[in-house]
Amino acid sequence: MVYQFAEAAEAVGSTVKRFSAMAEALRYLRDLIKEEKVAVSELPDEYAALRDAFPPADPCEYPQVRFCLSSAQAGIARTGTLLLDLGDPTGRSATALAPIHLVLLKESTILPDLRSAAPLLGAALDAGTNAYLSLTTGPSRTADIERVLTIGVHGPRELHILILEGA
Amino acid sequence: MGKSEIREKINNSYLRRALKNFAAAYPVARAKALEGIDFEGLRSRISESKRGVLRRLPELVAEFTRNAEKAGATVHFCRTRDDANRTIHRIMQEQGATFLVKSKAMTSEEIELNHYLEKQGVRCLETDLGEWIIQLAGERPSHMVLPAIHKNKEEVAELFSKATGKELPADIPTLVKAAREALRSGFLTGQVGLSGGNVAIAGNGAIGIMTNEGNARLVTTIPRTHIALIGVEKIVPDLAAALDVMEILPKNATGQKITSYASFIKGPTGGEGRALHIVLLDNGRMELALDPLFSEALTCVRCGACANVCPIYEIVGGHVFGHIYVGGIGLVITPFLHGFDKAEDILKLCIGCRKCNEVCASKINIEGLIVDLRDRIRKPTGQKFLFGTFMKNRKLFHGALRAAYLAQKPFQGEGGRIRHLPLVLNSDVGGKSLPPIAEKPYRDLVKEGSSRSPLPDPRSREKVLFFTGCLADFVFPEICRDAQESLELLGYQVSFPQNQLCCGIPARYSGEMEVARDMARLNIDVLLAEGADYIVTICPTCTVSLKHDFLKLLEGEPVYHAKAVKLAEKVFNYSELAAKRLGTGDRGPGTRGSGMVNGTPHAARETITYHDACHLRRGCGVYEEPRRVLRELAGVEIREMTDCDKCCGFGGSYSFKFPEISAEVLKNKKENIKESGVTTVAVDCPGCKMQIEGGLETDGSSIRVEHSATLVARRLRR
Repeated sequence: MVYQFAEAAEAVGSTVKRFSAMAEALRYLRDLIKEEKVAVSELPDEYAALRDAFPPADPCEYPQVRFCLSSAQAGIARTGTLLLDLGDPTGRSATALAPIHLVLLKESTILPDLRSAAPLLGAALDAGTNAYLSLTTGPSRTADIERVLTIGVHGPRELHILILEGA
Repeated sequence: MGKSEIREKINNSYLRRALKNFAAAYPVARAKALEGIDFEGLRSRISESKRGVLRRLPELVAEFTRNAEKAGATVHFCRTRDDANRTIHRIMQEQGATFLVKSKAMTSEEIELNHYLEKQGVRCLETDLGEWIIQLAGERPSHMVLPAIHKNKEEVAELFSKATGKELPADIPTLVKAAREALRSGFLTGQVGLSGGNVAIAGNGAIGIMTNEGNARLVTTIPRTHIALIGVEKIVPDLAAALDVMEILPKNATGQKITSYASFIKGPTGGEGRALHIVLLDNGRMELALDPLFSEALTCVRCGACANVCPIYEIVGGHVFGHIYVGGIGLVITPFLHGFDKAEDILKLCIGCRKCNEVCASKINIEGLIVDLRDRIRKPTGQKFLFGTFMKNRKLFHGALRAAYLAQKPFQGEGGRIRHLPLVLNSDVGGKSLPPIAEKPYRDLVKEGSSRSPLPDPRSREKVLFFTGCLADFVFPEICRDAQESLELLGYQVSFPQNQLCCGIPARYSGEMEVARDMARLNIDVLLAEGADYIVTICPTCTVSLKHDFLKLLEGEPVYHAKAVKLAEKVFNYSELAAKRLGTGDRGPGTRGSGMVNGTPHAARETITYHDACHLRRGCGVYEEPRRVLRELAGVEIREMTDCDKCCGFGGSYSFKFPEISAEVLKNKKENIKESGVTTVAVDCPGCKMQIEGGLETDGSSIRVEHSATLVARRLRR
């Protein structure tokens, strides 16, 4: 399923990397981000090692920051889709403004199709609390001028999915 | 929508190329996106769920409102367009806001929100790239999903250069980058964000929005107040129903498996100072939901597929083929959302090919609704005499057709075909050559016995009544003869009831339902009187009329409806009856089974491509039998053409009402025929034959157009 996920995600322009250890993922991020500031969105403590490795950007800097780092609740193999819980508007704006969006995804959370993600979506939406959930598939795109596919209109131009194997 | 506007679109070479490319690319992308998906199952579920919603719409509005408000949203139910405009303006005023940043919402186009707010001093900024182009140009969308499909990059470069004050080249990546930069400040400084919504989930009060560009996420995130303007028919009962809609939408709209972003929003998120206002737009929908005939139109999910496959949309685009909502469904909902006066002209533009019905995401009988709407808006004019008195009276109608044979004489050219009609009949035949009305219609030939009399056959024969249809009877008597003779050679006993009259379709399509009903009753009595096994037609439009439309027309009359059911069971198209018998037993040297043609083993001598008539393929679901018939013929090689089931542009009186559009649709068909490199086009429809033959002849092409009956008869006679 992870293979199907990667293939579908790459087919819509995502960059997919697979890592067997957190340290490898960190190395990948370091090579990419270097010393730049990172807008962090909804990253739980289990990813502290990755989160704290980069200088955090202040929300007022988000419109200028190049990188956003976040994590997905689940993946959908058929379409290469990420399920993101974006309840916090500040973190949400980071995922929408930064030109490069980096998302951590645990291999064990990959589901076959949209229908199989329904219980997860349902649990979040039917609970009493408010919610903002996003199914994100590839980078931002448009075909509004002469139907020519162009990547990176308003949202990220690049979507990197970092799959943590065995996690 | 006048003739000059149609001409302008036809002559707009960029528009034509763009729409043609899209029409070619879309089915391929859609098929790929639908791989592994049970489309029929999915759309049946959507249709059922949405019809269920309409039956209890007020209840679901209440449930949605309750759940959305429980999550902290404010729901505004707005009965009219004005009401919605005022409500949105009031929300802005309460925030002291004068700048609205927007993602795409067709409902906003529907209520002309920008126009209203700008008069009140509120600045509106469209951020969907296509919508921004349209806003800068001061136009309206020409497609529900691709609003600026009619604009080329040069025009966009000019608009963007003016808007940004920079000289921008007509290079698409550069233009997109420029839009990103120019609109960024809009997202950051917009005081209130407005979105549409693809679904509103009653069960939990959440809304769902699908976009590709990521602008909806910004519009619903950065401004602290978010207004979602949603048509009330977008309410679905639960998440499962919402996911069905979100599953089918991108596949049907643009041939994508899924859009880049699909968001579910429940209540305002982010705590204090954040607000979500959901404006539920009625604007005629609640009333339409109760309409027994037309409520179906509200099950539309706004994917735009009906425009994507429409042969007329492909020629004229959405500025002609629609009002604010475009495509087939646009024609249907315009009268209910914008008034019948806005819809009268555009409803005539549908050629009736039913391609839209085939792809509709919620299985709406779009073409059927268009036909029924013409009845509702019909006005008393000269056509009352034409249909009411003239066509119903068999002797009068047929007498006039005979007189026409004499009147046309001066206009016949080489080979007897007509290239120019007198002005009084029609000012423009659209560069077509027309066959003349025959000197003797088939009904006279039958009477005189100049058609071959039935062959004696010792075997028991099935009795067939031959319903020729007017066009074949009066213009193509030779096809009638071929049909009767070949069916007799196949062992049927065929007779022609003299009292049959027009099938009623021209009246029905012109909105004269009462006349069509009268004709249905008269024909039923004639055709059931003789106790035949089958009724055979050689015109698919007649087949549809006899087999399907009579049932619908006579729904309210138990006695005649029962008769119509009985009739429907017996009605078949020529190819169906021929296919039953061809290939069984030895049918002589002209068929495949014999292995020989004129004493020599047959190599393929005739290459044939089959053109599916709209009413046969989509009206009757018949497309396999005609090909089986051709395969049974000796010396035939079948080569399928691209878009074999796309309309030829005839559409009965359509080709006279809109000759220029008809000619352009025909041009596409001719291209595909010529590309297939055949010697013959086989058809099962006299209308298609007339249209395609006339077109090919005008081009000087040697490709012949033959009715299946002719191809079969020719070989069986050997």
